[in-house]
Amino acid sequence: MWRTNLRILALALCVVGFYTAIAHAIPQLQSEVPEALTLTSDASPEALANAGEKIFNGAGGCTTCHGLGTRAPNLITDHAGQGPIGARCGTRKPGMDCKAYLYESLVKPAAYVVAGFEPIMPDMSKQLTPDQLWAVVAYLQSQGGEVTVTASDLKAATTGAAPAAAGAAFTATRDPVQLYNEKGCVGCHQLDGKGGTIGPSWDHVGSRRTAEQIRRKILAPNSDTTKGYEKFAGTMPVTFGQQLSASQLEALVTYLAGRK
Amino acid sequence: MPMPIGLVALLQAAADTSHAYGHFPVIGPRGAVWIAAEVHLMFAAFVLGVPMFAVICELIGIVGKDAKYDKLSKEFTRLLVFAYSATALWGAVLLFFLTTLYPKFWNHMARLFSLSMYVYVGLFFIESFTLYLYYYGWDRWNAGRAKWGHWTLGVLLNVWGTTVMLIANGWLTYMMSPPKSETAETLPEQVGLWNALANATWMPINIHRLIANAVFGGSIVAAYAAYRFLAARTDEERAHYDWMGYVGNFIAISTFIVLPFAGYWLGREIYQYNQQMGITMMGGFMSWLWIVQAVLIGVLFLCANYYLWIGMARIPGAERFVPYTKYMLALLLACWIVWATPHTMIASREELAAMGGAHHPFLNVLGVMSAKNTAVNLMILTTFLSFLIYRRANKRPVVPWARTGTIIQAVMFGLAAAVVLFYGVYGYFVEAIVRIGFSVYQVVAVLGCIAGVTIIDLFLVRGAETRGEIRWGQMPARAQYALFVLAVTFTWLMGLMGFARSGIRQHWHVWEVMRDTSPQAFTPALGYAANMISACVLIFLGLVAFIFWLGSLAEHVAGKSAAVEPPAGFTIGGTAPARTTGGAD
Repeated sequence: MWRTNLRILALALCVVGFYTAIAHAIPQLQSEVPEALTLTSDASPEALANAGEKIFNGAGGCTTCHGLGTRAPNLITDHAGQGPIGARCGTRKPGMDCKAYLYESLVKPAAYVVAGFEPIMPDMSKQLTPDQLWAVVAYLQSQGGEVTVTASDLKAATTGAAPAAAGAAFTATRDPVQLYNEKGCVGCHQLDGKGGTIGPSWDHVGSRRTAEQIRRKILAPNSDTTKGYEKFAGTMPVTFGQQLSASQLEALVTYLAGRK
Repeated sequence: MPMPIGLVALLQAAADTSHAYGHFPVIGPRGAVWIAAEVHLMFAAFVLGVPMFAVICELIGIVGKDAKYDKLSKEFTRLLVFAYSATALWGAVLLFFLTTLYPKFWNHMARLFSLSMYVYVGLFFIESFTLYLYYYGWDRWNAGRAKWGHWTLGVLLNVWGTTVMLIANGWLTYMMSPPKSETAETLPEQVGLWNALANATWMPINIHRLIANAVFGGSIVAAYAAYRFLAARTDEERAHYDWMGYVGNFIAISTFIVLPFAGYWLGREIYQYNQQMGITMMGGFMSWLWIVQAVLIGVLFLCANYYLWIGMARIPGAERFVPYTKYMLALLLACWIVWATPHTMIASREELAAMGGAHHPFLNVLGVMSAKNTAVNLMILTTFLSFLIYRRANKRPVVPWARTGTIIQAVMFGLAAAVVLFYGVYGYFVEAIVRIGFSVYQVVAVLGCIAGVTIIDLFLVRGAETRGEIRWGQMPARAQYALFVLAVTFTWLMGLMGFARSGIRQHWHVWEVMRDTSPQAFTPALGYAANMISACVLIFLGLVAFIFWLGSLAEHVAGKSAAVEPPAGFTIGGTAPARTTGGAD
């Protein structure tokens, strides 16, 4: 019987060893934690871009989609003959410079989705610190363009001030249409036939939802999902409670509830 | 020179003023929790999976008045009594590790889930006592209404066990898919217990684990039977454990066949919850994990079919099917190669340039989901066909529509294979978003075939004449070793999938809510993970072997004759008169 026991033991060890050997033979990829940046106020553009490159290729996980160029646009070499991202970022959105566009793409990725791609990119401000976000912007600018991120952007980010070049997060306006454009709602919701189609149209939204429901949807977008938009559930940022003042929120709610 | 990880962990623990992490020698806190959680989970899967078919076997025994099923069920349950203690012990180890090595994280979980933890503990008590009643009351409540009452205890055992699993699944799925409204600033009390438990991946994991537990339990029971077969001293013992091994393997493989479909659902829910998490899992740093998984599943399919094909040698009439097995083997091997073909390559710029793109020019064609889905569905169909011919081997149908029924079955196989191949090829010519939907058609075709063919077969062999009785016990030893390979592979696969599920959280204790700030926050590469998985598997299997030995020791003390008595209706070595209905069903 001992012979049988030894055979069974040897078999188990061989099977386990075989699987372990295969797992060792394939490429060994480790998922790193985003490094905390120690950039000082006199950090040079090169230092920023170098730090950003590490995040882009490592902990940021950006290459998973952008590196292949199939799930998301290729940022490093070329996309659709327009060159690397640094060369094309300044002309992506009218009236928005390269730095502002790249920053917005990281923190509000649904605001502008390149034609031919799905809105799959997550809000990177949940993954990366403000310093790291700016470092990534600097790196992307360095790919065919000029790095305009400065230490003042990092300082503004760490003190909580809004990035001036990224488009003011807080404006005083209570004009709902202006808010619609400024806050990036245009990227997903249609208004008067313009805008994205990732979220439900704002035309006639007042006939479908009450003011209370609209307010709740803005503050807690995941509280429910409109029928037909299930595959985009979770896309809308949950940060509008911080981005809108109380009077702006009410102005927007009143406006939308009135669009019967 | 890099600082040793143990020293880094020690310094981190010393410098960590918030006491977020503790220290564990050599393997670090993550390694300690990894082993405790995985081994606990393996035992938990066993004690949840085995009662499922213990209760089904007992029911078959009651309804069919067949004592051998009742005896088989009791034998399963005896293994449970020991395995429960091991499950509880490893659960306690895990709890102590979490509270001492990850106090801050545990505090978060306890604040959120405290009520469910009390319910969990209460249910565990109830479940344990139900098991004791179920096992120790077996011989006392063995007839009439009392037997039905006893069977009800078995049903309750499953109900308690499944509820315990649902609660624990709520905790672990919360870590990977917390409610989207929750942020790092949200207090646990604000989240709401039900909101946290019933998260996006909870139900897919519940279904996936329920099926996987049955698979796992079946494979371990089959391995137990294989061991007892090899250790048997009499023909009666060999006949009994040969049959037990067949039943365990049948349950493992028949439930395993539907597991990939539950996996699709889980994967889809992960993608819907967070695209980045889904992409990390399937196309990111974890993409190569699926190649290892394909190797394992290929081994499972091959061993399961091999066991059946060898088993046909002891079934009179099976000779007519033997010539076809070589074609089935060729198909399985071809599909295995396709399934194990890598697609997305994580490569350096130089390597990308050498390949001419992100994908290998040749492997790219086989590495896509269209090819892989086609391969796995054909493997499932082939394995089902093996079961069918094994079942039909010694039967001669007597119903007047037997020929027509068999032709319809063949057509169903052909149609299912054609649908699978059609959508597999068509998938190359459409957009990815359309192609994903094709897998549903392939799955429906295969499941439809399995359901339809099985129903026809049940009626077709009713009252069938036998070509000869199955010669239970006349099975070569290599077939038993195939059962061991199956059990070891299922166990390793469970560890691998545990790493995949947990690893996609990357450096988060709770995805985008609570960051892992320990020195071991990085997610390790597959080589390291494989070492940990292998360690867990060997610990688990070592303890299971000890439990098996304990079981046989108790049996020896109680008297061997009761345990190995040849069950009624058995043919040992082909000497007993043949039964009318055959025995392979």
